[in-house]
Amino acid sequence: MRGLSLNILLAIVWTLFVGEFSLRELAIGMLLGFAILSFFPLSLGTGNYVRRTLAVVRFALFFVRELTAANVQVALWALRPRPPLHPMVIAYPLRLSGDTAQTVLAATITLMPGSVAMGFNPERSVLYAHVIGADSPQAAREGFKKVEDALLPLYGQSAASTAPTVEEHA
Amino acid sequence: MNDFNAARDIPILLGAFFVLTAAIGMVRFPDLYSRLHASSKLITLGSAGIFIGVGLEFAQTEALTRLAAVLLFQFLTTPLSAYLIAQAAYLRGLAPLLEGPDEWNALGKAALLDRRLEELQGSAED
Repeated sequence: MRGLSLNILLAIVWTLFVGEFSLRELAIGMLLGFAILSFFPLSLGTGNYVRRTLAVVRFALFFVRELTAANVQVALWALRPRPPLHPMVIAYPLRLSGDTAQTVLAATITLMPGSVAMGFNPERSVLYAHVIGADSPQAAREGFKKVEDALLPLYGQSAASTAPTVEEHA
Repeated sequence: MNDFNAARDIPILLGAFFVLTAAIGMVRFPDLYSRLHASSKLITLGSAGIFIGVGLEFAQTEALTRLAAVLLFQFLTTPLSAYLIAQAAYLRGLAPLLEGPDEWNALGKAALLDRRLEELQGSAED
């Protein structure tokens, strides 16, 4: 919170400095302010904010790439004479916890190649998804793991916490 | 074609192409769950392409902020509705066409239904 308010403050100072208050100058001010905050994380106490923002940017880039790949793939399936769908419903044991984080994960998986989130178990430690186009449940879980790995730093959770396997839940 | 504007027209054409394939996929995929793949992913990027093209056509602050809001809500609501449709269909017993495993049926469906039933009974007693 402190990092964000400092960043906005620096952006406003920048608009005063150039003498023009517009969306464009505010955006430039945000970028310059972010550079200042990331140069002096210790004295300003903004290390956490900088890390999180970078995680958000990295996740956004990853997301756009995956979404484009998903669309090209599903578009090709839709146009092929006999789409190789191999539909299945798989369970994915979650390492992420928390309402927001799990919602974002489910939404991202729905926009990813070949998977639509279908539900959580009552304890919300397992995510169920309908998968098409994957060779095996293991291959599909690998894809989910990439998304989860990109999301974990965003919510300040470590990837080290071991996930329960599907068999343990059976 | 003499007023072709690449920055504006290419996103619109790409978006229109993805919306078209979404429609084709909706007709051709075998069951509700597979069709959700076509509707959720392809419609999201397809409409995003069209919106971006329209936003670049106007290229003003007001147009761009509205564009950003439209895209944000599109990305928030489409996966949510796909999730709810898939879950509702599954819990009501519409069997997906499967060539692979069905791990939800093995692990989760009964437990989730029990939990829902308890919630319903709890709210009926209140």
